[in-house]
Amino acid sequence: MAVETQSATGGVKSTLVNSTFLRVGRYTLVRLVTVFATVVVGVYLTIMIANMGGYVDQIMKNDIRDRFTQMLSTPAYRNMSADARKTLLEKSIALEEKRLGLDTPVAVRNARYLVNALTLNLGRALNMTSDSGSKEVRLIILERLPATLLLMGTSELFLFFASVLLALTLSRRYGSFWDKMVITLSPTSAAPPWFYGIFFILFFAAILKILPFGGMTDSPPPDNPIDFALNVMKHMILPASALIISSLFLSIYNWRTFFLIYSSEDYVEMAKAKGLPARDIERRYILRPTLPTIITNFALLLISTVSGAIITETVFLWPGLGRTLYRAIGLYDTPVIVGTTIIYAYLLGITVFLLDFIYALVDPRVKVGGN
Amino acid sequence: MSQNQLLHIEDLVMHFNTTHGAVQAVDGVNFNLDTNRAVVILGESGCGKSSLAKAILRLLPRNVGTYSGRILLNDMDIMALSDEEFRQNVRWASISMVPQAAMNALNPVIRVGDQVSEPAIVHLGIDKKEALSLVRKMFQHVGVPEDFIERYPFELSGGMRQRVAIAMALVTSPALIILDEPTSALDVLTQANIFNVLKRIKKELGASFILITHDIATSSELADDVAVMYAGQIVEMSDAKRFFDEPLHPYSKKLMSSVPRLHGGKEPDFITGQPPSLIDLPKGCRFAARCPSRFEKCVEDPPTIEKDGRRVKCWLYS
Amino acid sequence: MATLRNSFKEMLRYPSAIIGSVIILLLVIVAIYTVIKIPYNTAINLWRGGEEVWYQNPKFAPPAWINFFSSKKLPVSFAVRTTDGTLNKIVTPGAQGTSTIDISYTFDFQYDDYPQEMLLYFTTQYAQKQPFVSIVWLTPDGRKIRVDDLGVSQKQTLRFSQDERLLQRLNGANPMQALFEDPKTHAIVKGKYQLQITGTTFEPGSDINAEFVFHGQVFGLAGTDQERRDLVLPLLWGAPIALAFGLVASLGTLVLTMIIAAIGTWYGGWVDELIQRITEVNLVLPFLSILVMVGTFYSRSLWVILGVTVLLSIFTGSIKSYRAIFLQVKESMYIEAARAYGASNFRIIFMYLIPRMIPLLIPGLVSSVPSFVFLEASLAVLGLGDPVLPTWGKIINDADTNGALYKGYYYWIMEPAALLMITGFGFAMLGFALDRIFNPRLRDM
Repeated sequence: MAVETQSATGGVKSTLVNSTFLRVGRYTLVRLVTVFATVVVGVYLTIMIANMGGYVDQIMKNDIRDRFTQMLSTPAYRNMSADARKTLLEKSIALEEKRLGLDTPVAVRNARYLVNALTLNLGRALNMTSDSGSKEVRLIILERLPATLLLMGTSELFLFFASVLLALTLSRRYGSFWDKMVITLSPTSAAPPWFYGIFFILFFAAILKILPFGGMTDSPPPDNPIDFALNVMKHMILPASALIISSLFLSIYNWRTFFLIYSSEDYVEMAKAKGLPARDIERRYILRPTLPTIITNFALLLISTVSGAIITETVFLWPGLGRTLYRAIGLYDTPVIVGTTIIYAYLLGITVFLLDFIYALVDPRVKVGGN
Repeated sequence: MSQNQLLHIEDLVMHFNTTHGAVQAVDGVNFNLDTNRAVVILGESGCGKSSLAKAILRLLPRNVGTYSGRILLNDMDIMALSDEEFRQNVRWASISMVPQAAMNALNPVIRVGDQVSEPAIVHLGIDKKEALSLVRKMFQHVGVPEDFIERYPFELSGGMRQRVAIAMALVTSPALIILDEPTSALDVLTQANIFNVLKRIKKELGASFILITHDIATSSELADDVAVMYAGQIVEMSDAKRFFDEPLHPYSKKLMSSVPRLHGGKEPDFITGQPPSLIDLPKGCRFAARCPSRFEKCVEDPPTIEKDGRRVKCWLYS
Repeated sequence: MATLRNSFKEMLRYPSAIIGSVIILLLVIVAIYTVIKIPYNTAINLWRGGEEVWYQNPKFAPPAWINFFSSKKLPVSFAVRTTDGTLNKIVTPGAQGTSTIDISYTFDFQYDDYPQEMLLYFTTQYAQKQPFVSIVWLTPDGRKIRVDDLGVSQKQTLRFSQDERLLQRLNGANPMQALFEDPKTHAIVKGKYQLQITGTTFEPGSDINAEFVFHGQVFGLAGTDQERRDLVLPLLWGAPIALAFGLVASLGTLVLTMIIAAIGTWYGGWVDELIQRITEVNLVLPFLSILVMVGTFYSRSLWVILGVTVLLSIFTGSIKSYRAIFLQVKESMYIEAARAYGASNFRIIFMYLIPRMIPLLIPGLVSSVPSFVFLEASLAVLGLGDPVLPTWGKIINDADTNGALYKGYYYWIMEPAALLMITGFGFAMLGFALDRIFNPRLRDM
């Protein structure tokens, strides 16, 4: 009854790699399309919400007016009289508004804005300017994006690895002092990062004066790149710590409970019975099967932190996307507010997709059409 | 102690603690097994059979209480070994196990071939390539197609997974293999197949088996010896032929008469009452409450009496 | 309800559950007390009231009790007036309908720093001839400083630090310092100070009433903000608002999520698929950002924000876990029995599915309250809080706008932060303990 296979170990291995590649490849493609569709719907909803009071229409109209006013102030039109220019301006604006369909029903307008949003044509800001002097919302936002990614990325990665590893250790010491300590401290995660941020600033910046109040670098920033990097890191300590502390203990607790539950699985006991060394068991029998869930939870954590970091950035004067949004609120700069929300939606979509991809790599049970 | 004696268990005790009290799952078990023999341990659910298997392999639950006794494996007291020594020298090196519901005993995210080769790599000190060829041989023994090596457990049927688990238990050619209800989750045809596999392995590899089951009928094919377990203790131990001809202990008699027979119009019997709670064990003979032959002496715990090489824990034979 | 009693006994085993419950109980008591003692309309009027309401208080004043912890004692604020007898007033009728009105106040000044401001508010009654007052300041070391002599109209305010004649008399020195220190050594003179106002009225029926307001550097139980408002008001009123928002949001989200999960599980098919898709889209919507958009463009009213919050919180991952449990229950025997006897879908969902879920949901309910409480505070800190309501987040927002951390007004941030923390941790502790009691998978631990 045994089937003869002709391949040596080498041949077996290449088929393994191929099948994984195919499986992950197919899955990734499907997920890419699905996530993209989801993002499109999400951005459309965002636009719909924003435009319920006609604010996006306003953005468009202001944009048109701006463009034509600028155009008409160029030397080519110098020869016209002020009145003639004014009439031309109004006519051109009316024509353009018609061309862009600003007189069409709401649904159609929103659809056009959707296309704009998807191509990152986010209009011009009312009051704010980017560092390079442009009023284009896209540039304003994209300039600020790296700072946010830096802060969020560092904090989240640290949080992830610290909590998973500490939790793994803790799950081996069930009922010990550290175990009880983590359980007791878990409710501290009820408070958002900016809350801890305020206390940190008070303590370390105002009272102890050893760390800066906020911002990303000293002003003026240091010249040479190494000093610059160190300076950025120094400024990143407090905000990153606030972000980490606010999720740390609950994170550790959740993973530790998770590991405890999964270490009572039958196959873990089987691994023990087989006499495998403890480290192997931890790595292959506890960590690897739970990796998909770990990744999903990490994704959710990432998502909630990214969209909630607005206040943390504000409190620490960190020049990122959140702080831009805060300033835009204060300045009532509609295009920036709407644009930032859309960019956040993209970030979330990318995060979801990336983590789906990693999930597929890690869990062999995942395939196209599965859950 | 004969030269052929593989396993000698003396006064093995394993209790574990719950909020309701200590569960005395294994309560003074005495047991012997010779080389290349298969012993079937019979008993109702909850009598401590699976706990006995785990106690032998030192797979203690998190809430373990008392754990004591002597286990001699080829004259080596494995209870005295440290955890690390036990892991290296006993688990799978000398004793392996096919657990109940083997479908859950396989790691879902690791390929079948890798899992089965793990113990070989760890205990036999061979490399991956050698181990995989060993795995292929084992798969041949148990009747699993060779290309299943690359598959994941979820891609296999229940019966196949059971066979994989058996292959896994064989890969290091241990002296003793414990099987806990190896076929209870399978259909009758697969059951018969599995037992054939076991019989073949016993003949070809010279291994010994401890077969834990409540399925008396099918296991009777494989058994050389029979042990009957009740309320955490072994109440009868005998060679299979004499046991099936004439069980000694009243409980054994009841067990055997509850098996439906193909011929003979007699209706299967049943045993009244329930086995005692392992937390709140009665004083004296634990079977007395349900025993049709009980008498005054049964208020005292009976000793284990030897009779022509058979052992029975009952006052009737004193 | 034996399980309820058992669960209660279980709870007592966890100290965190006890502490959490006590905190929540205290909060509820404070909330109820506040709503009764300072009814909603009164509170709103007070909170929005400007100078007329809060003129008696200094600005940016820390609470009075910090004097306990400091060797340098800061002057405490007070206000006294003739109309309720706290400010001494003696009327002596004179000839031809005139009268002399003596108003005086003695107070003990034992502090190590100067007050922010002193004010006199005069209210007079007369037909044609304005009454006249003479104000004199007596120091403990026997000096007598004439402050001002002036005719007072019907409503007149005298600010000591800005009174021209007083400034002249003091040669341009800051009156708040000059009135309290030895002219040579410039050290603060401690002891009994007396304010004497001698007023004269020139008509029968004419009257002078005065109010003496002393803006020290500290005030009251909780201090004041930039509009002189006593922070006790928003600190107290923050409690019922936080509790209301937290509980309503939490409960609302829970109930709606459960109903939707139940419906999806029961009907299956495209209903279920649709719910899944909606959940995925909701995942991509940036929660706080959208609230920001709504708050900036449409309405900052607490109810609107609450509604949008709940709407965005329903279609989350928790639907998946409810689905899993519902699916399990759906296939169970007694549901089949119910279908066998012809129970309608509606009846099955509401009478069988949902009641099974309730013990599993309670920990989640309690645990999610803090996030909503902090959400409301977060929006307020961003400046998008309800414009009318006095909430803890609003206090932090005001403090932040006025640079509290940089100017050292730590009390202003610490007080609402402490209350937020206590509330958050109280619910979190209880929720945590409840989770360990009710969650079946954790129960074996």
